This record gives sequence, structure tokens and C-alpha cells, in this order.
Amino acid sequence: MVEDEARARAVEQPLGTLRSRPTLRRLLSGVWAHRPQLVHLALFVVAYVLASGFAQLLAIIPGTGISIWPASGLFLATLVLVARQSWPWWVLGGLVAELLGNAFWFRNPLPVAVLLYVGNALEASVGAWLVDRTCKRPIRLETLKEVLALVALGAGVAPVVSATVGSATLAGFGIQSFATAWPLWWIGDATGVLIVAPLGLVAFQNWRGKVQLSPARWVEAGILGVLLLGAAALSLSGHYLPFAYIIMPPLLWAAMRFELRGVVVVLALLALITVAFSLFGVSPLASDPEAQKQKQVMLQLFLAISAFSALTVAALSRQHQQALLTLRERERSLRDLVETLPAYIWCTTPAGEPIYFSQQFRDFVGFNVGDKDIEGASRLSAVLNAIIHPDDVVTVHALFAQSLATGRPFALKHRQRRFDGQYRWVETRAAAMRKGDEAIVQWSGVCLDIDDQVQAEEALRRASHRLARATQAASLAEFSATIAHEVNQPLAAIVAHSHACQRWLSVEPPNIERAKVTAERISRDANSAAEVVNRVRAIFRQAPHPRSLEDVNRIILEVCRLMADEIAAKGTRIDTKLEANLPLVVLDRVQVQQVFVNLIRNGIEAMDAVVDRPRTLDIRSCRDGLAAVRVEVVDTGDGIQDAERAFEPFFTTKQHGMGMGLAICRSIVEAHGGRMWMANGATRGAIVTLTVPAVASEPCGHDGESFPADGRPH
Amino acid sequence: MSGHAPPIVAVVDDDPRILESLEELLESAGYEVRIHSSGASFLARDISKIDCLITDVGMPAMDGFELLARVKQLRPELPVFLISGRRDLLQDRQARGGDTEFFFKPFDGAALLSALGNALKRRLADGQQ
Repeated sequence: MVEDEARARAVEQPLGTLRSRPTLRRLLSGVWAHRPQLVHLALFVVAYVLASGFAQLLAIIPGTGISIWPASGLFLATLVLVARQSWPWWVLGGLVAELLGNAFWFRNPLPVAVLLYVGNALEASVGAWLVDRTCKRPIRLETLKEVLALVALGAGVAPVVSATVGSATLAGFGIQSFATAWPLWWIGDATGVLIVAPLGLVAFQNWRGKVQLSPARWVEAGILGVLLLGAAALSLSGHYLPFAYIIMPPLLWAAMRFELRGVVVVLALLALITVAFSLFGVSPLASDPEAQKQKQVMLQLFLAISAFSALTVAALSRQHQQALLTLRERERSLRDLVETLPAYIWCTTPAGEPIYFSQQFRDFVGFNVGDKDIEGASRLSAVLNAIIHPDDVVTVHALFAQSLATGRPFALKHRQRRFDGQYRWVETRAAAMRKGDEAIVQWSGVCLDIDDQVQAEEALRRASHRLARATQAASLAEFSATIAHEVNQPLAAIVAHSHACQRWLSVEPPNIERAKVTAERISRDANSAAEVVNRVRAIFRQAPHPRSLEDVNRIILEVCRLMADEIAAKGTRIDTKLEANLPLVVLDRVQVQQVFVNLIRNGIEAMDAVVDRPRTLDIRSCRDGLAAVRVEVVDTGDGIQDAERAFEPFFTTKQHGMGMGLAICRSIVEAHGGRMWMANGATRGAIVTLTVPAVASEPCGHDGESFPADGRPH
Repeated sequence: MSGHAPPIVAVVDDDPRILESLEELLESAGYEVRIHSSGASFLARDISKIDCLITDVGMPAMDGFELLARVKQLRPELPVFLISGRRDLLQDRQARGGDTEFFFKPFDGAALLSALGNALKRRLADGQQ
């Protein structure tokens, strides 16, 4: 049968196109192509004959005909399962079976038997066609739609055909009246469809599938079976028919827990029990003859309603299970998505307590959420302290707290500790998940490892910085060569002239005329040299920067941040000890920044050769008296031999230095009304100290205060 | 070469102030001076009477080294002094040696005169041999 179906599917398409121009020849060749295997057809015939015999067994009330007709269910299920093109074969097989059954049991005249079969075949064809049209193949009775289609169309509508044809035949041949035969016929066929069609469908669909039940389920199935048998014995043996409905709980139990398979097994059992009790005469069916007819209808209704209820519940249960499975599957694929994304994912409660780390995040940090819990401390602090770089942890804490308070998204680049202790740059972003437009239910965050990019950017920045410095140095060299030449020319002339002048005056007699001319030229060339110097100064004289009220500490921190790369590259550490609430100073921000850049660079370079101790540069700031701010830059180098000469122009201890740095620094500090000097430390290193007068007597306010360029506070 | 006639020194420099001052210096030392503002104008004249050449290195068009090369073809024995403000241009030449002498601006007048005197004396001695 399965092979038939496959074959049917394979040729369905060409047949579909043929159908639009049907000719008898093509129709017949299509039917021939879809002939079923003989074995299957034979099995069908045997099952049909046996089903007829089973019906005959139950038909023990004289003059009422068949009470349950299982062959209708068998026929319908078969036609639903096989390809439509092969239906003629099965209809033919059904005819053979019907006639055999008639010969064995019913012994109706041949025309009657054939007419009855026409009704049965029409019933099965109409039912299968309707079910087929309503539901998509394969029909597994797993959805409510399929069950309702089978019940309403297969068991409700189709038997109308069979009942009408059959009753008319019986009436025509004078065997039974139409009105008496019709209801019993209809209910008998409907019950047959309701009980046997699902059994057939399940049996064929699971022909090769193995039933996998856990031991607990087997026990459950056993208990259910015992209960069912007990309930069936009670209900069918009693004389009070409504009692039969105690079969319902075990039936529904089977439907809920074992779904369609459970239902078909139970229904089959129920039908067999009914037969058994009917045969032994203890069934309600076998009571006094007057009530027998009515009770037969009741029994049929009972079986039909049981089957209908159980099938519906089974389909609902199946649908529910399917939905659960789908949901679980979707959840699993969502989790897989989260776990396989090349990012670290985490969630926190609305209050910020971490509740979930993705597997990749756990692998990165080396622990799971909750592993760092400390009695009395918040989990968030514990986690942040464990994974965020000490220099970043305050910022991360503050920004996340701000996000938690305002509900605004969080975004920050920071360093994060990997399980092996290495800090890597990551970009963290988090956003609040809200229930509708209302309260936050969760914070979801993602961390991306951007260390490689950051390193590359840093390398690029360092390279461009080096390039800029090299370019600067080169252009400075070029420029100084030009200046030197411009100054040298008149100087050379002056020197030569003065020597000539000397000679004119020292000959005997002195050549005063020539000496005078020469002296005039000397003063002319000297002026031209001075002019060169003036021009150079004019080039270097820049427009004065506006001065503003500034917090010296802030400038120091800014410079440290600007130079962070340079400092780190040299393996140096900078410790700042800045006195809070220093008075503000009116200063040229750019120039003073330049001073600090110079002092830090000098300090770092002074420690280049230091290997036996940490290279630490201390920057301290404090009040100096009432109205001045003092800054000290202290290195751990070898100190300086001639501290005062360090400020002379062109004094340098460096191989490639100009020797202008400290001189320029001092001139800037003095331009601000301050002083600058240098001394050696008590044990080692040099201390550069500068003081600048403060104008504002009140201390600078909180961080972030700003002033306009004219220096007046708001 | 007559003993009475003063030696003739030619000076080539593109800066008139240098030309003027060297002319003054050399004349004060009793030389006869010919000044030229470029190598081309020097070579255009008759250079057979010249006893010594002082030339700047950094000049537009023909620089001091090129002039030196040309002069050495015409008068290999002529003493030549190179003067320049840029040490870096002369240093590698100096390293290669040779009889050419170098002076850096601003040069010492006395040193230049004494070097010039020595060169002329040496030349005179060579001429007499």
C-alpha cells in the first residue's frame, strides 16, 4: 500500500495535466498504471469479509438488520490512504468481498447484494473524496480539523448515501420498511466509520513505526486497560444502560495520555467487549425483545458518541502536544541562536542583578552567573569587580547605574578580564526589555570583543603620531637650516668686513677712507642680520590664545589621558596626587597643556635607562600659600647634574634634543606670572616644580564646570 | 709672474654682500680681486691670469662643485677655496680629501688670508721647480 502511494505521487503531475482532456483510453491507462499489489488487494478483501462476519455476529435481534457495519470504516480508510487513480481496483475488490460475505452470512438474493454494495461503495467513495478535499494528505487525525472532517463528512454525511440506497433496496424487495431500516443503517455505518476508520488509519500510518513507551507509561497503560475492562464489564453487563457511560473516564484518559493510538485500541476493545457480551446474552442488547430495538439504537449511539468524544479529545491533546513541542523547538532554536552568536550575551534583573550569561560569555570570563556571589554584597558589584579593568570599573558602574535609573540604553568601550587574566577591549551595549510600554522586566546586554580593532587603531595612531613628529622634526631641521643661512650670510660679510676694516686701519698710513666705507657696510650688514631675526620672530609670533578660568587638575588629567598611549608604550606609570578643590587659575589652556606634555615627556625620557626600579612619574598638585597653585612632576630617573642650566636654551642631555623644551616651558609659566624650577629628589630623580598665581579665592566647583573664553564665570 | 704685480684672486658668490666683503678683505691684504656673481660669468672671462679662486658652494644654476670641476679641467693647478654656510654639504667632500680647501661661513678673515697666502706660496714654489 505504501509503495502504491509512492507510485501514485510520482505520476500525479502528468495525470493532473491529462485530467483536463480526459479520454477513456488515457483514463484506463492511468487506472492500469495505479493497480495495487495483489497481496494488498487480497488482504483488503479478507478484512472486508471478516468485517461483514463481525457485523453479522452482532446482528442478533431478528428483523433489525445490522447494528454496526465495520466494513464502512475499513473501506473509507482504505480509499483515504490510497491514490485516487487506484480507487476502481479497490471498489472492484470490495464487490468481490461483499459478494463473498453475502454468500457466507447474509444470503440475500444477488441483485439485493449488488445494490447494497453499490450503496456501500458510493458511501466510501463520497466519504473519502470529501475527507480528501477537506484535509491535506497524509491524513493522520492529529488535528481537530482532520477529526472533525472524518466525523462530520466520513461518519455523518457519507452513510446517508449508503443508508438511503440500502433502505430503498430493502424496501423495494420487501424485506424491511424504508423508515425502519434507514436510522439503524445510518447509525450502524457511522459507528463503523468512527471506530474502524481511525483504527485503519493508525494501523497503516504506523505500520513500520515502533511504539516507544517508558516503563512508567507501560504501567499506566496496564492500569488503564484493567480499569477499562472493569468499566466495560460493569456498563455492558448491567441492565441499566446509562450506566454504560462510566466507560468515559478511562476512555478520555486514554485519549489524553495515549492520544490517537490509545483511542483506537480502546475503541477496538470496547467494540470487541460489546460483541462478546452480545454473544453471551448478558448485554443490555440481549434483554427483553420489546426494548431490544430501542436499546440497539442506544448502544450504537453510545459507541458513536464514545468514539467521537475520544477522537476529539485525542486530536486536541495531540494538537496541544504539538504546540508544546513547536514552542520547545522554537525556544531551543532561539537558545541555540543566542549561544552561537559570535558575541557575549547576558541579562540582568530590572535592578541590574545578573541572571544569565550565555555559554560564550561564561567561557570568556571563566565563571557562570552567581559564581561570584558574596554574602552581603550585590551580585552586580561582585561581577563587575571580577571582570572589569580596575581603571574602567568606576565608569562602568556609574554609567550602568545611570542606565538602570533612567532606562536609557547603555553603551561603553572598556577592558574586560578574560578567564586567563588577560584584559581585552570589548564594546558593551545593553537595553531595557519592557512589557509593552510599561515597566522594565529585564536588561539584555551584548559584549563584542573589539580588542583586535582597538590594537590596530592604536598601532595606527602611534604610527601616525611618529610620522607627525618625524615630519615636524624634518621641517624644523629644514627651517632652522634656512634661518641659519639667512643669518650666516650677513654675519660672514660682517666678519670679513671687520677684518678688512682692521687691516685698513692698521696699515701705515691708515686708510681711513676705506675703513669708513667698510665700517658703514658692517653696520648695514648687521642691520640686515637683525632684520632676519625680526622676521623669524614675526613668523613664530602667534595670535595670543584667549585665557580662561581653568582647573589645573583638569588640565593635568586631560594631558595624562592624551598621552596615555605614549606613557603605556614606554612602560611607565603615572601617579597623580591632586589636591581637591584647588583655586581656579586664569591661563592659556593650550600653552599650559604644552607645558605639562613637555614635563611628562621629559620625565618619561629621564627614566628610559631605569631598569632596576619601577618607572613612576608622580604628578602632584596643591595649594601654594593663599593664592597660588603648585604642581610638581617627580621622576625616578638619575636626576640632573646642573639643575639651573636645564632652563637655558639649547641645554640638553638628550642625544637628539633641541634643548628648547624647558626654556619654553619656563617662559610660558612666567608669562602666567608664575615661576618654575628644578631640583634633584632626596634619593634619586628630578623634581620640576611650577607655581602659578590663582585669581579666584573660592575653590573650583564640581567637575564639569565650564567657563567662556573671556574667563568670566557664568 | 712678476714679483711686483699683486696676485689676482677671483671670487664667485651669488650674494653681493659676501662678494663686497671678500673684495674688501682681499684688497686690504693687497690682492687684486675679480668678483663674479655666478660661475658662468667667471668662466666667460679669461681665467689664465687668475692665481686663485674662491667660490661659494650653494648657488643657483651652476653650484660650487660644478664650477670646481670645470675649472680643474681648464687649470688643474689653480688653487680653489670653497666656502659654504652648510656644513652637511661639504663634509662628505672633505672626507674624500683632495687639495681643495673649505671654509664655513662666517669664516675667520685672518685664517682665510693665511690659507690663501700659503696656497699662493706653494704654487710659486711649484712653478719655480
